[in-house]
Amino acid sequence: MSDFAEIHDELRSVARDLLVKDADWRQVVDAGWVSLEVPEALGGAGASFVETAILLEEMGRAAAANRFLGTTLAVGALTALAPNNSRDELLEAVGTGTSAAFATGFSVSDGTISGRAEFVPDAAGADTVLLLADDRGTPVVVTSSGLTVTPQSVLDATRALAVVTAERATVSQVWPLAIDPSALRDRAAVAVACDSLGVAEAMLTATVEYAKVRRQFDRPIGSFQAVKHACADMLVQTSVARQLVDAAVSALAGRDASVEAAMAKSYACSVAVDVVGKAMQLHGGIGYTWESGIHVYLKRAALNRSLFGSPAEHRRRLAARYH
Amino acid sequence: MTDLDDFRARVRQWCQAHVPPDWRATQTGVTEAEFAAFQKAWFAQLHQAGFAVPHWPTEWGGGLSVSEQIVLYQELAAHDAPRLVLAFVSIHHAASTLLAAGTDAQRQRHLPAILDGEIWVQGFSEPEAGSDLASLRTSAKKVGDSYVVNGQKLWASGGMHADWCLLLARTDPGAPKRKGISYFLMDMRSPGIDVRPIRNAVGDSHFCEVFLNDVTIPAENLVGAENAGWQVAQETLGAERGMTMLELAERLGHAGFRWLVEECAKPGVDGSRPLDDALVRDRLAQFETEISGLRGLCRKVVESHGTAAVEPADPSIVKLFYSELLQRMMDFGAEIGGLAAHTVLTKPMSSGWESGAWVLDFIGSWEWTIPGGASEIQRTIIAERGLGLPREPVAS
Repeated sequence: MSDFAEIHDELRSVARDLLVKDADWRQVVDAGWVSLEVPEALGGAGASFVETAILLEEMGRAAAANRFLGTTLAVGALTALAPNNSRDELLEAVGTGTSAAFATGFSVSDGTISGRAEFVPDAAGADTVLLLADDRGTPVVVTSSGLTVTPQSVLDATRALAVVTAERATVSQVWPLAIDPSALRDRAAVAVACDSLGVAEAMLTATVEYAKVRRQFDRPIGSFQAVKHACADMLVQTSVARQLVDAAVSALAGRDASVEAAMAKSYACSVAVDVVGKAMQLHGGIGYTWESGIHVYLKRAALNRSLFGSPAEHRRRLAARYH
Repeated sequence: MTDLDDFRARVRQWCQAHVPPDWRATQTGVTEAEFAAFQKAWFAQLHQAGFAVPHWPTEWGGGLSVSEQIVLYQELAAHDAPRLVLAFVSIHHAASTLLAAGTDAQRQRHLPAILDGEIWVQGFSEPEAGSDLASLRTSAKKVGDSYVVNGQKLWASGGMHADWCLLLARTDPGAPKRKGISYFLMDMRSPGIDVRPIRNAVGDSHFCEVFLNDVTIPAENLVGAENAGWQVAQETLGAERGMTMLELAERLGHAGFRWLVEECAKPGVDGSRPLDDALVRDRLAQFETEISGLRGLCRKVVESHGTAAVEPADPSIVKLFYSELLQRMMDFGAEIGGLAAHTVLTKPMSSGWESGAWVLDFIGSWEWTIPGGASEIQRTIIAERGLGLPREPVAS
């Protein structure tokens, strides 16, 4: 158990209150959420992904439209690097509000970087985009001032995604990555799984509240077995998803988390789509309106499912262990 | 090495020395009597090692911590040990009832006897009281210092081997249905008891009908107050469910999943392996993921038992999810096993719900989705207790 266990409930409730009020980026930074995992010596809280995971879940619950996902992935990349002046400076700056994003799939040669990454969260308008690159077999994290960042419009209006392109762009900074780059991939997958868990829980809560007050045939619709059993299934799926997400979050803190990450990502992100789908169904006609906002969650859940590896891709990784 | 690591090493060593390597083969196609003898011998071995009733209080012969019990069941599953089938009601349901609501004399009489092999059966359900258990009709009339019982019980698993019965009977026919029921300990050798096996869908006969015709039960065998039997049953019914579900989830995660992968790795008639099919691999990964979630949920239930973290619907969530996951996995095993799986006509006794006899296991999985609160009842409980949804209006 982390030393921060006692602050988890508080972190959760503060986040829930603030996000309900549509917190802007400055408030998110001032709340100390971006700097949670930044070491104390650099002005952060020195916490772990366990704490970040709580916030990611709350972002999903609120369907928050802010830069937290992109920035926290960048923080994850920076904290994975060996401390040095340039890294420390950047990490400190991100903790205090410099916006950042993280893209993968680049390669370095002769002091330049090339490659293209699609659907990079929060890259558009970011002060810094960190690139995971291959430097003749060695994984490195790179910054470059010669990147082209093109926003990609998606149906989910709560997410800002972009194409990041580098064509023999000059490398500004390069840091060797001491860990297996797959750990960063796992972190991104689990981050989205946390978000989907929050999405599912928000929709379960909203549906149960609605089923208690909406009356038809002179009784609350929640007293009908068909509605009740659909809600029960939503709770079962969400409860199982929580176990898998919790297991993946704690696995990320230490050893290789690839199995747990694949399970959490594939299950939680699939379940969230099911749960939001049932939420729309059980809200009836009102659930299909733009005004009800359930479509926002359905689009976010469906996008999350495809982001950082589809359920089938993650299950393929699990199945690679079967012989 | 922590104490828990030491304990795990000790259990491993014990399993390697004591789990008969050929028990599946030798326990396939045995008679009821041979099954009962094997079960009693296995129970005695576990008891000697201190592993038969780890969940009981220390003074009665148990006393393992929750973490140690988890390790014990993980290792028993990993070593594919026989399951305690015959003693199940005795060590779990009977013991938790006696410990929670029994008198000192009742505990002294029965807890040591259970360790010596006394077998119990549950006499709750009736032909007209299944999911609606509280509408049970078996009557118990006070006559002097005794009760005289008449009625019929159904689905009494292992009834033909039982020495004693946990019996619910109506003592006040005029009271509202949940307020007129009492809880008894009934000696199965009493005159007037007729036990008849019912053949189930799999073809075996461990379920029984129990006919009760003027059976006399001494008043000292009443558990709790007269007419308070429903509360006693409610309080003790789910008390031990967490750890027993954890054991089943561990078994599903070890042998159950391993055999499913092995089945998929067998070449079919055209020589190709199902395991090389992307859809099959996807289904397996889905099952493995769901088993992991189930195991996590079971651990949470046993670790939060009696604390503020306990969620009221969790036992029902675990029961429902396990039942349906088991059924889907066995269905898949039957599909992959193909026609060859239909030639497996018997499964080893004393095995878990997944024995590798896929078609029989598939059919047998309805023994999970129907008894002990059918899946429909579990969903209603989850919605009402877990989510606070309103109860169905009572028909006027």
